Amino acid sequence: MASTAFRWLVALPLIASPCIYLTGRVGLRKEWSKVAQVMGFVLLIAAWIPFLLSANDYAASGTLSLRIGSVSLQMDGLSLLFIGITLVLGTLVALFSQSYIAREDGREKFFAMLAAMIGVMIGLACASDLFNLWIWFEAMAVTSYLLVAFYSEQPPSLEAGVKYLVQSAVGSTLVLIGISLVFSQFGDLSLADIRRNAAPSPILLAAGGLFVVGFGVKTALVPLHTWLPDAHSQAPSGISAMLSGVVIEAGLIALLRCLSSLTGIAPTWGVLLMGFGCLNMLTGNLLALGQKQVKRMFAYSSIAHMGYMLLGLGISYYTNDPNGAQGSLFHLLNHGIMKGLAFLAAGSLLYALRILLDQHAPLHIEDMAGAARLYPIPALALSVAVLSLGGLPPLAGFTSKWQIFVAGFETKNTVIILLVAFAALNSVLSLAYYVPLVNVLYRNKPSKDVLVGGRIPWSMNLPLIVLVLFIVLLGVWPTLADGITIPAGQAVMQGVIDVSTAALP
Amino acid sequence: MAVLCVSLCICLPWIGSIAVWRCGNAHSKLQHSVASVFAVATGVMSLLLLLNPAETPVVRIPMGDFFGELTLVPDGLGIILAIIASVVGSLAVVFSIDYMHGDPQLGRYYALILFFIGAMSGLGLSGSMLLMFFFWEITAFCSYALISFHNDDPKAVSGGVKALIVTQFGGIGLLIGALIIRSYTGSYQIGDFLETAPALESGLLSAIGFGFLLAAMAKSAQFPLHTWLPDAMEAPTPVTALIHAATMVNAGVYLLARFFPAFEAVAGWKTSVMLVGLLSALLAALMATRSDDIKRALAYSTISQLGYMIYAVGIGGIFASMFHLLSHAVFKALLFLGAGAVIQATGTRDMRRMGNLSKKMPFVHATFMIGCFALAGLPLANGFFSKELILEFGLQRGPQWVFLCMLAGAGLTAWYTLRIYTMTFRGQSGEIHVVNPAPPAMKTSLAILAAGVLTTWLFAAGFSALLADSLPYHNVHVTTNISLIHEIIRAPLTYVALLVIVAGGACWQFRDRVVKKFRIPARVTQFVESGYGIDIPYTAVVRITQRASRLLRDAHSGQLNLNVAGISAALCILLTLLLAGV
Amino acid sequence: MELSSLNILFIGAAALLGIGMYGMLVSHNLIKIVVAIQILVKSALLAMISAGLARDEIQLSQSLALTVIVADTIVAVIGIALAVQVRRRIGTLDVRELSKLKG
Repeated sequence: MASTAFRWLVALPLIASPCIYLTGRVGLRKEWSKVAQVMGFVLLIAAWIPFLLSANDYAASGTLSLRIGSVSLQMDGLSLLFIGITLVLGTLVALFSQSYIAREDGREKFFAMLAAMIGVMIGLACASDLFNLWIWFEAMAVTSYLLVAFYSEQPPSLEAGVKYLVQSAVGSTLVLIGISLVFSQFGDLSLADIRRNAAPSPILLAAGGLFVVGFGVKTALVPLHTWLPDAHSQAPSGISAMLSGVVIEAGLIALLRCLSSLTGIAPTWGVLLMGFGCLNMLTGNLLALGQKQVKRMFAYSSIAHMGYMLLGLGISYYTNDPNGAQGSLFHLLNHGIMKGLAFLAAGSLLYALRILLDQHAPLHIEDMAGAARLYPIPALALSVAVLSLGGLPPLAGFTSKWQIFVAGFETKNTVIILLVAFAALNSVLSLAYYVPLVNVLYRNKPSKDVLVGGRIPWSMNLPLIVLVLFIVLLGVWPTLADGITIPAGQAVMQGVIDVSTAALP
Repeated sequence: MAVLCVSLCICLPWIGSIAVWRCGNAHSKLQHSVASVFAVATGVMSLLLLLNPAETPVVRIPMGDFFGELTLVPDGLGIILAIIASVVGSLAVVFSIDYMHGDPQLGRYYALILFFIGAMSGLGLSGSMLLMFFFWEITAFCSYALISFHNDDPKAVSGGVKALIVTQFGGIGLLIGALIIRSYTGSYQIGDFLETAPALESGLLSAIGFGFLLAAMAKSAQFPLHTWLPDAMEAPTPVTALIHAATMVNAGVYLLARFFPAFEAVAGWKTSVMLVGLLSALLAALMATRSDDIKRALAYSTISQLGYMIYAVGIGGIFASMFHLLSHAVFKALLFLGAGAVIQATGTRDMRRMGNLSKKMPFVHATFMIGCFALAGLPLANGFFSKELILEFGLQRGPQWVFLCMLAGAGLTAWYTLRIYTMTFRGQSGEIHVVNPAPPAMKTSLAILAAGVLTTWLFAAGFSALLADSLPYHNVHVTTNISLIHEIIRAPLTYVALLVIVAGGACWQFRDRVVKKFRIPARVTQFVESGYGIDIPYTAVVRITQRASRLLRDAHSGQLNLNVAGISAALCILLTLLLAGV
Repeated sequence: MELSSLNILFIGAAALLGIGMYGMLVSHNLIKIVVAIQILVKSALLAMISAGLARDEIQLSQSLALTVIVADTIVAVIGIALAVQVRRRIGTLDVRELSKLKG
C-alpha cells in the first residue's frame, strides 16, 4: 500500500540536502550560511511529521510499501525502529550543532551532509532488495566520509578520514562480491525471494561470510574495527554521536537483512554472531580501560556495546526465537540514546574548553576535573550516560541488557548461559573505566581548562536534558519501548516479506 | 493503607533526594533541613509498616514479559530492613547536619543518602527477584558514590571503585540465580520460588544457592570478598555508620535468610554458609586486634559480627540471625557515629594519637561505652541477648567444633573492643587538642542510638511473632521476652560465654604478660595485618587486566596497511571456517 | 571443472581481488592505495557481470554495474580529495606517516 507519508519520509531529507547547501552558498556572506544552518534543523523537525504519519499507517495496516520506478521500498518493524532512533538522534544533533559548528567554514556543507546522511539511512532501513541495500549503504558511507574529515585543516582528522575511507571501501567491495555470488545462484536480488528459495550451499555460505566481513567493517566487528576509534574521536561531536549511535547500527541492520534472507543456515549465523559478540565485548572493554581521551574511550565502548547487540541477535538466530533479537534491538535503541548523550555531553565540554578557545587538542579525562560546579548540566548528563552504559539501574542500559540476558537464559543451553555470564562480567569490567569519569567530574578543585572555559548555550543543553529524560524513562518503564521493539524483533526473524505485489492497483 | 505506607517508604526519600538537589549548594541550611525532614518522615513511615504486615504482595506493577510483575511485600524480613534503613538513616542524616557542616557539595551528599535509604527499603520490601536486583544495584551505586564522595582524594576514589567492582562481581551471582529462577519456573516472584523450590532439579538449585551465597559474601564483606570494606572507610563517617555498618552490608545476610527454606536441602550449602560465617568472624576479629585506625578496626568488627549472623543463618536460626542484625545495626551505628564525633573533634583517625578523651568528651564517652558493652556482649545491652541467642542455637544445632570457635570469637571480640575503648578514651593523652566536643545534632543521634542499644532487645517477642506470622516458609522460633530472659539466665552457656568475654578483656589488659608467654613470631602478625594475603589475587587480577589492555592497545599501531591486513585475515579465516565447518 | 568462459571470468575476478588486496597490503603511497581500491571494485564488477552471464540476466547486471561505477567514482574522487588535503597539510603521501592516532 503506497502511502504519501512514507514517500515524503524518504524524500524530504534527500531533497532538503541540496537545498540547504545551495542556500548556504547563495551569497558569499555568512548570514546565508546561518540560514542554511537553521534550515537544516527545521527540515529535520519537519521530517517528524511524515514519520509519525507513517508509523500510524504501520500500526494500522502492517508493513508499508512504496515503489519509485523499479526501486521497491518497504517499511516494517525493523525500519520503523531504526528510522525512529535516526530521527531522534538526528534532530538533537542538528540542534546541538547549531552552536558547535557555528564558527567553522563550510557550515552549510555540514548540515547538508547531515540531512543527506539521515535521508540515506532512512532509505537503507527500507530497502527490500540486495543491490538497493548496497546503494543506500554506499551513499551513507560517502556522506559519513565527508563528515568525519570535516575539520580538513587538522592532520588527525585527515588521518582518521583516510583510514575510514580506505577500510570502508574495502568492506563495500566485499559486500558487492557477496551480492554477485548470491546473484549467480538466484538471478534475482529481492530479499524476500531469496529467503523463499534459500537452500544451503557453499556459494551461499561464502556469500554470507563476505557479507559478514563486508558489513562488519562498518559495524565494527573485531578485528575489522580499527578505523572506529580514530573516526569517532576526530569527527565533530554531533557526528560522533551519529556515528556511534546510528551509523554502525546501520551496518548491523544491513547485515541482518542479508543474513535473515539466507535462512537455510540460520544457526551458523547465530554461532558466528555470538562469537563476534564475545570478541567485541572483551576487546572493546579492554581497550577502553587504558584510554585517557574521553572520545576515544567512548568509541571503544561502542565496540563493546555492539558486542552485546550481536550476542542477543546471535541467540535469536541460533534458536529461531525473536526474544534475543528484541532485547538486542531494544539495546540498539538505548545505545543510540546513551552513546549519543555521552558524545554530546563530552562534546559540549569540548566546545566550552577547546573550541571556544580555538584549540584543537583532544579532551582528556583529567581536563574535565571539577566540571560539575561550572557546567552542571553537561556533567550530570555525562554521568547519567556513563552510568547507564555501565548497566546500572534505574537507567536504560540496565533494562536492555537484562532483556538480552533473559533471552539467553531462556534457551536453557549451557553454552549460551555461560556466554551471558561472560557478558555480565564484561558489564562489570566496563564500570571500571566508566565510573572514574564521574569521579573526575565531581571534584571540588577544577582543572585549569575548566576555569578558563566558555559558556555553553541552551541549544546544547537542551538535547542533553531531553536525552537524560529518555534514559531515565526507559530505565524505569522499559515496556514503553515494547511497541517498537517487538515488531522489530519479529521482522528480524521473518526477514523481508514482499507486500508490494499484494496490493498493486 | 499498606500500599501507601510501602510505596512511600521508597518514594518519599527519593522525592526528598530530588528536593535536596534542587535546593542548590548555595542554600546549605535549607538543604540540611529538607534532608532531615524527609529522612525523619521516612523513618516514621517505616514504623507505620508494623501496623499491617502481609505475606502476599500489596503492590503489583505489571511490566511485560521480560520483567515480570514488580511486587512489594511488607513481611517481617522486609519490614525490619526498611525500619533499620529509615530510622538509622534519619539519625545519620541528623548527625550529618553537624558533621558535614560547610561541605561544598551537600546537595550530592544528601541526595545520595536519601536515594540510598529508599533503595534499601525497596530491597527488603521487594517480592520480585528483578526488583530486588534492581534495588541491590542501586544500593551498590550509592555506596560507591558516597565512599568516593571526596573526589579529590585518590584513596577515596579507589576505595569507592573497588567497592563497586567487588559488589558488582558478587551481584553476578544474584543475577545468574534470578535468571535461572525466571527461566525454569517462569516467574520472578520470591514467594512462588520458595514454594516450588523442592521441585527444581538439584543441580540448578545448587547453582542458584551458591550464586546467592557469592552475592551475599560480596555484599556483606565476608571472607574472602571482604577487602573492600576496610578501604571503604574513606567515606564520611555518617555514611559508614549507615551503609557499611547498619544497612547495606546486611543485605547479604537478608538474602541468605530470605532464601534459606529453598536452599536448606542443597548438599553442602548450609555447611558452606557456616564456614563462611566462621572464617569471617574469626579472621576479621584477629585483624581488628591489630588495627590502629579506629574506623578500620570497627570495620573489621563489622565483618566479624556479620560472620556471626551468617553463621546463624547457616544453622537455621533465622530469628537469632535477624535479632542480632537489629542489635548490631543499632550498636554499630552508635559506635561509628561516636567514632565520627571523636574524629571530628581530634582531627585524626589514628588511635595511637588519641587517649584520655573520657574527660574531654564525656557525652561521647558515655554513649560509646554503651556501644562497647553491646559489641562485647555484656549484659543489659542488646548485643548481649542477641549474641547469647546465636551461641545457644549454635550449641543446640550446629557442629560442636564450629560452636567452640564462635565462642572463642566472642573472647576475641571482647579483646578488641576493650582495646578500641582504652586506646581512644583512656590512657595518657597524646598531643591531641579537642576542638569542640560534640555539637547538638551529633549528641541527639548518639543519645537516641544509645537508648536503642539498651532497649531494642525488648522487642524480641514482637519481632519473632512478626517473623513467624509473615514468613510461611521459614520455621521461625517464636519467643516471649520473659522466656527469652529465662532461657538466657538459666543456660549455663551464658556464664561460660561471659567468662570467655572477661578472659578476652583480660588478655588485652594484661597483654604484655600474654605476649611474653606465647611469643608469636613477627611473620605471623605481619600476615594477619596484611589481610592473610587475600589482596594478592586481587592485585593479580587487576594487573593481568591492565596488562591485557596494554597489549591490545600496542597492537593497534595505527598503520593503515595493518588495518587492511586485519580485514583480509578475518575474511580468509571466516571463509575457511564456514566452508570447512559445514 | 572445465575452463568455460564463465569460470575464466570468475577466476579473473578472484585474481583481481587478490591483486587489489596485495596492493593494499604493501603500498605505502596513498594514491596507490586508492588505485588498489579501484582494482578491488573492478574485481567486484567482473564478478557481477559474470554472475549475470551465468544466470542469463545480462541486462540487469549491466545496469547494476553501471550504478556501481558511478558510486565507486564518487568514492574515488573523495579519496583523492582527501589525498590532496593530506599532501597539503601533512606534507607527505606516505601512509606510514599517517599513524599518529594509535592505541
